[in-house]
Amino acid sequence: MWRREAPHVLAALLRRHGSFDDCEDALQLALLAAAEQWPRDGVPHNPAGWLVRVASRRVVDQVRADTARRGREERAARLDRVDEGVAPSPRAGTEDHDAGRGDDTLDLLVLCTHSSLSPSSQVALMLRAVGGLTTREIADAFFVPEATTTRRITRAKATLREAGARFAHPDARTLAGRLPAVRQAVSLIYTTGHAARSRPGSSDGTLTTTAVHLARELCRRCPGDPENAGLLALLLLTQARRAARFTASGDLVPLDRQDRRLWGRDLIVEGVQVLERALPVGYVGSFQLQASIAAVHADAADARDTDWAQILVLYDMLERVDPTPAVSLGRAVATAEVHGPLAGLAVLEGMPPGSHRLLAARGHMLAGAGLAVEARADLLRAASLTRSIPEQRYLNRLAADL
Amino acid sequence: MKYVILIHSNPQPWGHPTAQFLPEHQEVPPAEREQLDRNFEEGFAEVMARGEFVHAEPLGAPSTSRLFRWKDGERVVVDGPYAEGKEHFAGFFLVDVESHERAEEIARLFSGPGETVELRPVMDGGGNGS
Repeated sequence: MWRREAPHVLAALLRRHGSFDDCEDALQLALLAAAEQWPRDGVPHNPAGWLVRVASRRVVDQVRADTARRGREERAARLDRVDEGVAPSPRAGTEDHDAGRGDDTLDLLVLCTHSSLSPSSQVALMLRAVGGLTTREIADAFFVPEATTTRRITRAKATLREAGARFAHPDARTLAGRLPAVRQAVSLIYTTGHAARSRPGSSDGTLTTTAVHLARELCRRCPGDPENAGLLALLLLTQARRAARFTASGDLVPLDRQDRRLWGRDLIVEGVQVLERALPVGYVGSFQLQASIAAVHADAADARDTDWAQILVLYDMLERVDPTPAVSLGRAVATAEVHGPLAGLAVLEGMPPGSHRLLAARGHMLAGAGLAVEARADLLRAASLTRSIPEQRYLNRLAADL
Repeated sequence: MKYVILIHSNPQPWGHPTAQFLPEHQEVPPAEREQLDRNFEEGFAEVMARGEFVHAEPLGAPSTSRLFRWKDGERVVVDGPYAEGKEHFAGFFLVDVESHERAEEIARLFSGPGETVELRPVMDGGGNGS
């Protein structure tokens, strides 16, 4: 599918012309022209080269128009020369394009996580620039109108320009500093797709597939950082459970009740391989530890065979590198599995109450300890606080069954 | 995350924007009223520019509604309004925002003298647990 070429074309344009919003607009126009001309005249030999040439022409025209307005002629002349010099023929276009292919997706990812952008803008830009999704597809994924998405992307591009963000090969130190934000954004894309999956009208796993694709790219372009492999392994292992997460009627099936025969074996094997290659590299960060926990779950043919002792060790390590409430909660659950519900409740005691996840976990532990009345109160309260319909149904059902 | 901003009001006569038909709002000194309107215009322009606006509908008068109830094993259909309350459900805005704090900020914009603005999160179909 030639739309996969879009990020490389965009990167080629950015290297030449610099301005993200001009280049992105020009690329969209070139893609429109392609959608019109190619079915009629046939696909050119080098689709990417064609797109670079047509879009480049648009950027130059645009700059020329702006320049005429502002009365600054030299800039257009200079750009025009650059354009003529770099892409005089389709052949040269190919070479230029291929030469830059090495790291351009990564450079784009890094640009999309510029610190001036909010997380949701980063995600929207990444889906557009690197995932090759159309505004319509992004809008569908987030269940908002297309006009809303258009405004968000326009605003994100304007923010990038105001912040003076430049498309460039970041040096090693800058890159190392930005990779965590890139991984977070990729992970957020996955979570969004994961959560949307059961919603009425949600069609396919566009977002989850795109996130896995991005994680793969990240590993390929930057194999030296084991956290990239950790992220990819985590997404693959989570993706493997996809078919078992919901019943046909859309009810949530918790991990311990999933039909493990529905888990994707190929994805599990690949996820574990990716993880096992990464772990000995050195620094073991949050994504590798989360993936390790997912791998232990994947290893158990039945929920009762789960090696909770190992999971507890992993949660202890995870809490040291990534001390978030969600991780502490996971550690409390693992503690309850290893040392009994009272030990789990003791861990929860030290945590600030209030979140529906904590109340749900405490409800489970209280039920395990035989305190049905207290358990029911926690489960019903958790059900009233969650914003997920399948989770609410599940918690209400649990409370009713006590 | 999506939130609905529900406007509960009782404009006399029924009309939109509701604030223009509320005695409490009309009693506010003109300069202060102008300031309130300007704050809203500016705030709402920002909501639009940030791509947070999803949908909105003003509702017709409560007297035009029909109520469907069940009584003694039979369906009973009567004319509205739903309740003889001081305020009626008058319209809603659906927004998609980064955080709960931002949703509160927007809901605050809609509030004014003589009516109640309610902010409620929208339920998601999917969960992100397990």
